[in-house]
Amino acid sequence: MAYTEEELKKELETKEYEYGFYTDIESDTFPVGLNEDIIRKISEKKGEPDWMTKWRLEAFSSFKKMVEPDWSNVKYKKPDLQKISYYSAPKKKPKYNSLEEVDPELLKTFDKLGISVDEQKKLSGVAVDIVMDSVSVATTFRETLAKKGIIFCSISEAIQKHPELVKKYIGTVIPPRDNYYSALNSAVFTDGSFCYIPKGVRCPMELSTYFRINQAGTGQFERTLVIADEQSYVSYLEGCTAPSRDENQLHAAVVELIALDDAEIKYSTVQNWFPGDKNGKGGVFNFVTKRGLCHNRAKISWTQVETGSAVTWKYPSCVLKGDNSIGEFYSIAVTNNFQQADTGTKMVHLGNNTRSTIISKGISAGKSQNSYRGLVKVGSRAKNARNFSQCDSLLMGNNCGAHTFPYIEAKNNSAQVEHEATTSKIGEDQIFYCNQRGIDTEKAIALIVNGFSKEVLNKLPMEFAVEAQKLLEISLEGSVG
Amino acid sequence: MEFKEKLISSYLAFEGDLDLLDSVHQTRAKALRVFEKKGFPTKKDESWKYTSLNALVNADYALFPRSEASIELKDVKKYFLYDTDTYKVIFIDGVYSPFLSNTTHDGLDVCLMSAALTKPKYRNLINTYFNKIASLEESLTALNTSYSKEGAFVYIPKKTVAEKPIEIIHFASGEEHSLWLQPRNLIVVDKNSQVQIIERHQSLKDHPVVTNSVTEVYVHEEAFVDYYKLQNDLTSASLIDNTYIQQAKNSHASVHTFSLGGKLVRNNLRYYHTGQRILSTLKGVTILEGKQHVDHSTMVHHSHPNCESHQDYKGIFSERSEGVFNGQILVEKIAQKTNAFQQNNNVLLDDKATVNSKPQLEIYADDVKCSHGCTIGQMDEEALFYLRSRGIPKKEAKALMTYAFANNVLESVQLPSLKKRINGQIASKLGVNLGFEL
Amino acid sequence: MLTIENLHAEVEGRTILNGIDLNVKAGEVHAIMGPNGSGKSTLSSVIAGNEDYDVTQGKILFKGKDLSGLDPEERAHLGIFLSFQYPVEIPGVTVTNFIKTAINANRKAQGLSDLGASELLKKIREKSTLLDIDSKFLSRSLNEGFSGGEKKRNEIFQMAMLEPTLAILDETDSGLDIDALKIVANGVNKFKAKENAVVVITHYQRLLEYIVPDFVHVLFGGKIVKSGTKELAHELEAKGYDWIKELA
Repeated sequence: MAYTEEELKKELETKEYEYGFYTDIESDTFPVGLNEDIIRKISEKKGEPDWMTKWRLEAFSSFKKMVEPDWSNVKYKKPDLQKISYYSAPKKKPKYNSLEEVDPELLKTFDKLGISVDEQKKLSGVAVDIVMDSVSVATTFRETLAKKGIIFCSISEAIQKHPELVKKYIGTVIPPRDNYYSALNSAVFTDGSFCYIPKGVRCPMELSTYFRINQAGTGQFERTLVIADEQSYVSYLEGCTAPSRDENQLHAAVVELIALDDAEIKYSTVQNWFPGDKNGKGGVFNFVTKRGLCHNRAKISWTQVETGSAVTWKYPSCVLKGDNSIGEFYSIAVTNNFQQADTGTKMVHLGNNTRSTIISKGISAGKSQNSYRGLVKVGSRAKNARNFSQCDSLLMGNNCGAHTFPYIEAKNNSAQVEHEATTSKIGEDQIFYCNQRGIDTEKAIALIVNGFSKEVLNKLPMEFAVEAQKLLEISLEGSVG
Repeated sequence: MEFKEKLISSYLAFEGDLDLLDSVHQTRAKALRVFEKKGFPTKKDESWKYTSLNALVNADYALFPRSEASIELKDVKKYFLYDTDTYKVIFIDGVYSPFLSNTTHDGLDVCLMSAALTKPKYRNLINTYFNKIASLEESLTALNTSYSKEGAFVYIPKKTVAEKPIEIIHFASGEEHSLWLQPRNLIVVDKNSQVQIIERHQSLKDHPVVTNSVTEVYVHEEAFVDYYKLQNDLTSASLIDNTYIQQAKNSHASVHTFSLGGKLVRNNLRYYHTGQRILSTLKGVTILEGKQHVDHSTMVHHSHPNCESHQDYKGIFSERSEGVFNGQILVEKIAQKTNAFQQNNNVLLDDKATVNSKPQLEIYADDVKCSHGCTIGQMDEEALFYLRSRGIPKKEAKALMTYAFANNVLESVQLPSLKKRINGQIASKLGVNLGFEL
Repeated sequence: MLTIENLHAEVEGRTILNGIDLNVKAGEVHAIMGPNGSGKSTLSSVIAGNEDYDVTQGKILFKGKDLSGLDPEERAHLGIFLSFQYPVEIPGVTVTNFIKTAINANRKAQGLSDLGASELLKKIREKSTLLDIDSKFLSRSLNEGFSGGEKKRNEIFQMAMLEPTLAILDETDSGLDIDALKIVANGVNKFKAKENAVVVITHYQRLLEYIVPDFVHVLFGGKIVKSGTKELAHELEAKGYDWIKELA
């Protein structure tokens, strides 16, 4: 005998966030609070040079003059920034030369995450940098990469070992005073990834970073800087998880990409921060600033699968400064229960013959609110700019919302901009058709959602695509009503 | 003195000959406090992101014309839709012109707001409808409400089809060096009735005029309102048009806005529903040049099931002109089976022309069909070449393509003489004579 | 195999089926004919378990099991296949992926493990050749932008892949030209075997030239008003449906 819809719903509701475990690792955690001393201490703890400390303090002084933005279509209780600890690091953390040296507890964590570092090493040849509570704990495949001149390390290490590169590029795409959270991040970031691909080098493997918030009462403020020198190529993956907690945790990251002439950066994210429980309690506030700068003929492509976080506020953007440069944004954002997402992109066309593509798929279920917010801007001197945007929303159930807020600004008469958006629901007839072929309703929905998201899923690297599909399925479980 | 201060301090003079204890006046006084608190909108307001009123409100304007301007019929006849017999409510510098008007009380009321606001026989209508859907919060609407005194009043009783279209025309004579006008219109169309309305604002001299107009339109069950806004003023004149429409079940309200002239034009068009199976139509053609700026801000609030809305705005921009489209579709949770569509297509003809478009969908119901599309592009060079290779000169070919581009909006104009008039205006705007009727 | 007893069904309070009795045995082909609105498609939907229809009286037994209360997918797992009159589009899901999902869902219900990729591929190749289906077709989104003929061929292709015990073909001939009709009929005839049964629902006799029925039933006003052999189909073709109305 089959489940009734009610029974099915009930059973699925009790399914916990699969990644909601806490790793018992002794941590070195700062007292809560935000002030100049804390910032100096972070900088000191990390053994940073003076210029970096100064840079942080300048960012902090801009930050103090700013107010938290409230224009996005999300409602939440603003986090009390004085109640957060700005530094938390696994204690047994000197340096790891190989995985064997890593705390076994930590490795177990990664196993639970389904990203066994060992396995990944063998199977997919992905180089992984793992950032736990803002501190980078392991970078694999370093030597293989070093042979090609590729630098892939934590940003802390890069500040020590490659200060000339960091100094030259950090804050150039996203200045500290860009917005409230980028200023905060610039002041207090504790770690993140750094990557430099030298001229003419095609990075032989996917570079990957996993972020995890572990400690309670902490925020995560990682900073990522990727520089692709002329004619180089890199594909970069980023994944995130956090334990289930009743409290809201703040994640305010900054990601800067620089693609020099003829370079290409592909940046993929699978974001699965704890979304809060089914009553909307807890969950991560994901306030992230991501932006890439394209020089001549360069290409930056953002792909994101956003299934986690209680509140998401994120607009990975491309500044198409160079002539003939290309920006792409492919996004799937799924919200369920009480999640709220306000996400999209900005494509700023400044150079001649620049092109951008935006494909956004929003899926709302439960009592969630899902908004696409995007800007396509064509500068007055940008000749022959082209943009195509397609934003589709899928609604599941009658307690959620799907919203589209595109901003289109064209100041050049040779621009061609096209924006299309649709909103629809999964058809009863589609589900019945699948049922008749023996496919149950949950599976049918997963199938239809996958089909709906296909254009974006196809843009993900293979290993990620499979994971992303599973995530979509898990995120939408129990959403049929 | 800042103009905002002047508006507030001049209020005593305005109140002078009014009944201060009247409930309408209390509404006015309340609205003034809203305006006083909020002031003029700035670009920081999300809905004014692309239109700045700074240049307009940093100047000085006369609020009350000093002398009564006299206008000869022959000077203004061309602004009437003369070859159709119409009801007319005509104002000169905000003052009713009985000489130019053609009002009625025969079976329907086409008359003055000032009469409706003061005469006992209209009291019930005023209590039921005055300032009931106009925003209480929006500062420009509040400003208009606080000074509301004159404008057109239209009441179509049940089962009545207005046989003639109604023309509402506001002339600015140019007697004043600069003038700020605030007409207030109220249109009530009862069950099973129909009316066609044409509204325009026209300056007769090249002096600065700003009109901040508010119109409330109530469309009852099974009624049909077909509303046309002709905006083809001199480039010294600016217009802020605030139109609020409330529709009851099975009704249809259609607004066509033709924005061809003026310096700065802002159209706030808001639709509200109170029943099911409503159809709301919003269409516009905007053709600008020079430094003209037109901002269409639309909102259809779907709050009942089984309703439909269609928005279709076409814009053609040359020289340094700027076009803004800010359209919103809001679908409440209860409004299942809503069909809501929004199209905004723009052509940029010159280097310095700008388009800012913000089509928005805000949807809380799942069983809906909603979509929007926005394009910005150029004239199809290939098609242009094709026409020219058939011997059509470039200018005419461009005009022809402009017509083609705007055609599905022009097509739906129900009044043949109006359609002809608009076609003529577009042709003269494009500087061509196509030699045939479109 | 399929036994329908005194079946009454309604949709939105409107009675469509008015006491249907039907008995289909393994190895048989039944044709159900009738004018538009006689309840033919309703019957197929009710057998497949479409929840838009309420069964108010009577029952459907399949392989001796009462189908009432079973979900559509459970009926499918038992071996009931419905070729839809209007197959549904599912954007972004390829024909191959859809079939894979369906086959594995059915296997899972039977306690079998997923079909291996190579076996699946072999089977797809075999059946698609049979139905003259281009491999490009298999990578297209399910039914999206398919012509009428392509949709129907795709239905029969799925039938061939899923190997049901009872196939109900609802107006499979509508929208097909003569060549497509032959291909579809050929697919059905290849499928026909001792252990399965086919119910052909059609308005015209045309398809029955190619899929020869053992029994023909005429449905009118939600009831079977006449049953016979294939000659009955010819009679209907010659005389039209009007005389049937007098029987009712």
